[in-house]
Amino acid sequence: MIISLLTFALSVNAPGDPVETMLSSQNSQGQSASLLANDKAFVEKRRELGLDLPIFYFSMASKATSDTLHRVPKRSHRQNLERFIERYGNWPEVQDYYQSLSAFRFAISDAKKDSTNRTHLINGKDALNLLFISDEPEKQTIELDNLEESINGAASLAHLKPGFQKIRDSYNKMTSNPTTWKKYVPVINFYGTDNQYHRWFFGDKALFGAKEGEYTSAGFIRGDFGISYQDERPVGSIIWDAVRWTMLLSLMSVVITYLVAIPLGVDSAISKGSKKDQIITTILFILYSLPSFWIATMAIVYFCGGDFWDFFPPYGVGGDVPADASLWVKLKDRAHHLILPLFCWTYGTFAYLSRQMRGGMVSVLNQDYIRTARSKGLNERTVIWKHALRNSLLPVITLFASVFPLMLSGAIVLEIIFSIPGMGKTMFNAIVARDYPIVFTVMMFSAILTLVGYLVSDILYAVVDPRISYK
Amino acid sequence: MSEREEVVELKQNYWSYVKRQFKKNKRALFSLYFIGFLVILALSADFLANEKPLYCKYQGKTHFPVLKSYAVDMGLAKWPPELLNVRWHELEYDSVLFPPIPYSPSNQDKYNGMFKSPTEEQRIKSKRWHHWLGTDQMGRDVFSGMIHATRIALTVGIVSMSIASFIGILLGSLAGFFGDDGLKITRIAFLLNILFFFLAIFYGFSTRSFILSDALNTSMMSFIVQMFISFAIFIGVMGIANLIAIPFRKIPWIGEKINLPVDLMVSRLIEIMVSIPKLFLIIAIVAVMTNGSLFIVMAIIGFTSWTGIARLIRAELLKVRNLEYLEAAEALGFGSARRLLRHAIPNALSPVFIAVAFGVASAILIEAFLSFIGIGVPADIVTWGSLLNLARAEPSAWWLAIFPGFAIFITVTLFNLIGEGLTDALDPKLKK
Repeated sequence: MIISLLTFALSVNAPGDPVETMLSSQNSQGQSASLLANDKAFVEKRRELGLDLPIFYFSMASKATSDTLHRVPKRSHRQNLERFIERYGNWPEVQDYYQSLSAFRFAISDAKKDSTNRTHLINGKDALNLLFISDEPEKQTIELDNLEESINGAASLAHLKPGFQKIRDSYNKMTSNPTTWKKYVPVINFYGTDNQYHRWFFGDKALFGAKEGEYTSAGFIRGDFGISYQDERPVGSIIWDAVRWTMLLSLMSVVITYLVAIPLGVDSAISKGSKKDQIITTILFILYSLPSFWIATMAIVYFCGGDFWDFFPPYGVGGDVPADASLWVKLKDRAHHLILPLFCWTYGTFAYLSRQMRGGMVSVLNQDYIRTARSKGLNERTVIWKHALRNSLLPVITLFASVFPLMLSGAIVLEIIFSIPGMGKTMFNAIVARDYPIVFTVMMFSAILTLVGYLVSDILYAVVDPRISYK
Repeated sequence: MSEREEVVELKQNYWSYVKRQFKKNKRALFSLYFIGFLVILALSADFLANEKPLYCKYQGKTHFPVLKSYAVDMGLAKWPPELLNVRWHELEYDSVLFPPIPYSPSNQDKYNGMFKSPTEEQRIKSKRWHHWLGTDQMGRDVFSGMIHATRIALTVGIVSMSIASFIGILLGSLAGFFGDDGLKITRIAFLLNILFFFLAIFYGFSTRSFILSDALNTSMMSFIVQMFISFAIFIGVMGIANLIAIPFRKIPWIGEKINLPVDLMVSRLIEIMVSIPKLFLIIAIVAVMTNGSLFIVMAIIGFTSWTGIARLIRAELLKVRNLEYLEAAEALGFGSARRLLRHAIPNALSPVFIAVAFGVASAILIEAFLSFIGIGVPADIVTWGSLLNLARAEPSAWWLAIFPGFAIFITVTLFNLIGEGLTDALDPKLKK
């Protein structure tokens, strides 16, 4: 729940205007009809995505700001208006000014272009666009003068003069009556449940009897993660494809890790102090410190084409075998692709776990009850594998909770290097493309998976240690 | 011997004991010396690898360009006109002494571009100009880049862990020392604090948001200054809240004291932080920042790595806080701040050192990884990670894969070894 707040806070502060990336609209060049259509499409898309709503249930703002600012469609305009408010603190006047500017924008794009006014018109539009996105008084006056000059320059633009006069007036009004004190008076606005966060997390779909088209989102907790900004696919299906790969590889490597680490740790603990133990410990320590992205890069340089050997394919997960190939061929193809990633995925945690296992085993072997077991005449095998192992397993199993997030983090690294379409790769691509619904859904998922990891280790705890029970 | 002296001597004994134990561990000691060597390398990077000569005689005048560049950077001096924006390698010097590696990390050697291997023939004037570790696509010298990247790696490790230990020690010690029933405040103070917390954020940060974001765009220094002012306002407003609460103490209901469950709050916060895989969190935050800079990366690593330290110090203080000597301190009438700072924390710090040593290693690793995938760290800064990344683009450039990766590996291993050594030296179980 709180994680959802955190990820949401991040996504709201994310730069870039999603609607702009989706529409990639050519703004303000062209006739007012198309301009109007453009603006309409923009507003429409915003409504569809729910971005015209207030952000949260309530907001704390100063008296100077407006509670309707979030309805201004363009992000750059919105930010500039905020700057105006910061400077003058009088929202009604700022609003007037913005409206006169917008009205003038339609008027100027309606103006007929001909040979006499072409340059003037272009200059005027440029000046107008700058008026929308600058807030310093010097720049504003310069651009206002530019605009005036270009309108006066051609006789055919005379009909724009009243509109311009209105801009001038509202600008003067805004600058002459600043109420900056209002900035320092805090006001709390309440918006109710019709806000972006509520819609994103809980959705606005009715619990029962909701009809298609009446709602925009079922909400995160009901499995609707929104749509991707890149290709408008539902995020849910994108993530599902990705989670499968990550889970497959993570689980495989967890299993391998435990299968190798436990015997190795035990073995090294039994022969503590011997040459064998020293060698194993040193190798494990080196493996533990080797950064996996270095090993992965080295593996690609040396084993995947390049100037050296060509054993393995450098990227992908395979799967481009004929559909009618036998199961064995398919499996072989997958395995061929996955061996290197799986190795890089596993060795770090495996070294870590073996070291822990060895440490646990060594301290258990010094306990009194082991001596008792030995003096009872039990053979060494039983003592070690039955008495000692069970007790030293406990800390290693709890480590599952911390190994699992490690695996997920490792996933980002290796999926990017080996181009495996898992969660990490998806997240990386989404970040590069500034596709935030995916980024934050992946984050939520990784958090949920981590919590599941904790749960599993709690359950394992109870299984291994009969003293612990959850009642 | 007075009591005070005895305490001092005991203290020295403990730390000299730790020192002795640490010195017994040859590997850890060697690592410490090696880190010292890396620090020297990082500090003297400009003198070891630089396109500017250490000393030169040009047009009859003697210059020390490397030293001079420090003065110029600090605004104390200006380049003489004949040396302003020159190609240092192509000047006709009367006499000259170049650094051992006569290239800067950003220097583009146009004759040796497109991944020149260290072993193949390079188009150079003499062996003196050889690129010992090869070049990258733009002809930048890898060795020089690696030396300068040492500085970045160590800075990242140290700065981010300083941030992390500050937050971790602060929150962890509050949680451990006060527990759930140690900190009592009056109802009115509690309410006022919550109310004024929002006000403080409002005056400290909301109304100043544009000043802060503009400062961030101009320079790091001005941002830090503005941030500091914001924090000062924040603390000031919170202070007012507690001042207002004082006269209400005597009023019956609202003046009653209630427990503030500090431990509970901090523990929940830690749980939330821990449940998001760190790397996912860092990447998401870094991605949201439009203009990445090294300092932001360090800050983010610091702000996400404090949980381990907080946990350790909390656990340690929970043990310590019921010991007799703290009761004695309380009986002597020392305030809780003094008991916490002077008596409790110094006795709980040793596990923190271990965590910091391992933390530095992981911070360096994270930074290397971030620059490896090209997120957050500005593209024009050469780091080990960004060098390693070049090997991905050109798999046949083995020198780009081996050397930077090895540097990362060595540094990380050294800090891990120090951590191990500290664990052995500080662990009371091994004290025999």
